[in-house]
Amino acid sequence: MALGLVKWARIKSPWILHFNTGACNACDIEVLAALTPRFDVERFGILLKGSPRHADVMVVTGSVTRQIRDRLVRVYEQMPEPKFVLAVGNCAATGGVFQQCYNVYEGIDKVIPVDVYVPGCPPRPEAIIYGVVKLLEKLAKS
Amino acid sequence: MSGEYEPESIFEIPVGPQHPALKEPILLHFKIEGDIIVDVIPRPAYTHRGIEKATEARNYIQNIYLCERVCGICSFIHTLVYTQGVERLAEVEPPPRAKYIRVIVSELERIHSHALWLGVAAHELGFDTLFYYIWRDRELVMDLLELITGNRVNYAMSTVGGVRRDITDEVAHQIKKGMKIFRERLDVYTEVVEQEPTLRKRVVDVGKLSPHDAVALCAVGPTLRATGVKRDVRADDPYQAYDEIPFNVATYHTGDVLAQIVVRVLEMYEAANIIDYALDHMPGGPIRVKVPWNIAPNEVISRGEAPRGELFYYFKSNGTEKPERVKIRTPTLANIPAVRQMLLGYHIAEIPIVFASIDPCLSCTARFSFIDVKTGKSWVWDREQLRRYSLKWYGKQ
Amino acid sequence: MAGKTSLEEAVEKLKAGIGAENVLEVKYQPPRNVFVLVKTEKLKDAVSYIMKNLNYQYVITITGVDLIKQNQMEVIYHLTDYSNTISLRVRIPRDNPKVPTITDIIPGATLYEREVHDMFGIVFEGHPNLVKLLLPDGWPEDLHPLRKDVTVQQIRERLEEERKKGVRGI
Ligand code: SF4
Repeated sequence: MALGLVKWARIKSPWILHFNTGACNACDIEVLAALTPRFDVERFGILLKGSPRHADVMVVTGSVTRQIRDRLVRVYEQMPEPKFVLAVGNCAATGGVFQQCYNVYEGIDKVIPVDVYVPGCPPRPEAIIYGVVKLLEKLAKS
Repeated sequence: MSGEYEPESIFEIPVGPQHPALKEPILLHFKIEGDIIVDVIPRPAYTHRGIEKATEARNYIQNIYLCERVCGICSFIHTLVYTQGVERLAEVEPPPRAKYIRVIVSELERIHSHALWLGVAAHELGFDTLFYYIWRDRELVMDLLELITGNRVNYAMSTVGGVRRDITDEVAHQIKKGMKIFRERLDVYTEVVEQEPTLRKRVVDVGKLSPHDAVALCAVGPTLRATGVKRDVRADDPYQAYDEIPFNVATYHTGDVLAQIVVRVLEMYEAANIIDYALDHMPGGPIRVKVPWNIAPNEVISRGEAPRGELFYYFKSNGTEKPERVKIRTPTLANIPAVRQMLLGYHIAEIPIVFASIDPCLSCTARFSFIDVKTGKSWVWDREQLRRYSLKWYGKQ
Repeated sequence: MAGKTSLEEAVEKLKAGIGAENVLEVKYQPPRNVFVLVKTEKLKDAVSYIMKNLNYQYVITITGVDLIKQNQMEVIYHLTDYSNTISLRVRIPRDNPKVPTITDIIPGATLYEREVHDMFGIVFEGHPNLVKLLLPDGWPEDLHPLRKDVTVQQIRERLEEERKKGVRGI
């Protein structure tokens, strides 16, 4: 019963954490644009949080650079269960244009598990919102 | 009290969460005495991806898309300076219409970037109303960019030998209409900056930089112009169609954070004027010429004024379809010594706005570590905590 | 073109200032740029002459180039008076790459020298703090990614090896 309530609350208002692992900023400004008045994801109850300990969903942008890898893993570990990861952009999915650069991993799924990928370079804010909605569906089923 | 300072000896706790507004990661080690900053050691290593090496393995066309993604906010100016350099290498001249289109898109990009920055700065100051207003109006420019290029952020517009899409009369008409609305909005922001006491209290006389230091430390762009030094690559070393377009180089004399805001607002007005002028005087003709696939051995430099300051590329070709060496110098790196100077002697509470004032292109995972030189205690904050601290500190004043 | 003539003048003055025999090669590039090769031992004289007597104010950046075929490295200092750019360069042996620092003449060059040091392993003698700038802390000291004789594959393998040894941050 209580678990059901928690799940209901989570679907109604998932809190997200935004992590830049070495993106070119384009994905970040699009994630941010999704939060600002034109797209306004807050009307779906999606809130951006500053700390991993408060977050349900981690939105990761960018190819994982080697320096940031350990940090990414640590932040991921700090999130409470159940946790979900949304990979925004081609970089986060496969390394994108930065494939073959010596200092990046090709995709964040090499480092942490990913639930939903949003392709695009950068994806439009609509696409990011769609990705979040897909994730919510997944959440509802979990 | 001062001792040899060892970055390794700092106690660090990983604070992952990122500030939603600023981007790439940088680690700044602060030495503080009480509440006053006595030294700053920047470590901008976290987004090093190895792009310069990768350019050597790709051909000139593939590299356009790689260089575009050095920075997603000033993506067009990167492609512009890159393609301009390759054109100089191959000794071809882009058609005049292409030059005008490049100017228009790069000025639109300047507006979007400055608007983004102004929003971020407002957010750093705890003035979120302004942040949301500006970001709403910025969407207007994003729509125009999408109308011209087909994409919101990475446009893939400039290519070697010209541009990929033309600006039709209808689009030109739309842009003019958009600029008119945007100017009206800018008037509102100018009023806010001039009159809003809560904003002025935080930015007047904060983060001061003298013109002498700015020049000695090789600062660029609005950071330099905010100290009253009238330097702009567009005017000093005109590229593309800038030598045919009349415009003013905006400067302001006080050298503090307020000056940085004023300079950027003025530049947005100026950019809107440049766009209008360029649309009226755009010559006809083709928008692209052919450039040979292999480029004979040569070496050139290419400069351009990005929203954040001078962007510089160096090229060396070797007769094949791939460059021998591409060197990229982005404006933020040039401004780091200056921001260090700007922070010295101020309070911890002022770090977010001063640091944001150079419009750093590398901030998201930024964690700030502090060492109290008196007690030897050290701790690490992320930007969000720092922002909250800063707001609280000012609340008490 | 007014810009070009003033650039030619600047080169003439530079030749007179540091001695024409020390200027090995001059190559003009449109629109307002010139590449000048000088002897390594005259580098500092040339830089301070350009900054002080020709009133150039600002170093845009420092570029390193690996000329592996000649077994040399090249360091290029892009100096500008904001309008004209003199790209002053020196060639140094590849197996012992050393140049004097110019940070005492231009404080703004600090970061650029560190960057070139990271990428090519060129030592700037007299630099106040020649530590890593762009590369991560755990990066092996002898691995310089922009040298032509290392491939991306080799760098990756090397880093993996180091990681297995327990080095963190890479
Ligand atoms: S996916 Fe594209 S836009 Fe996003 S961070 Fe990577 S390169 Fe930039």
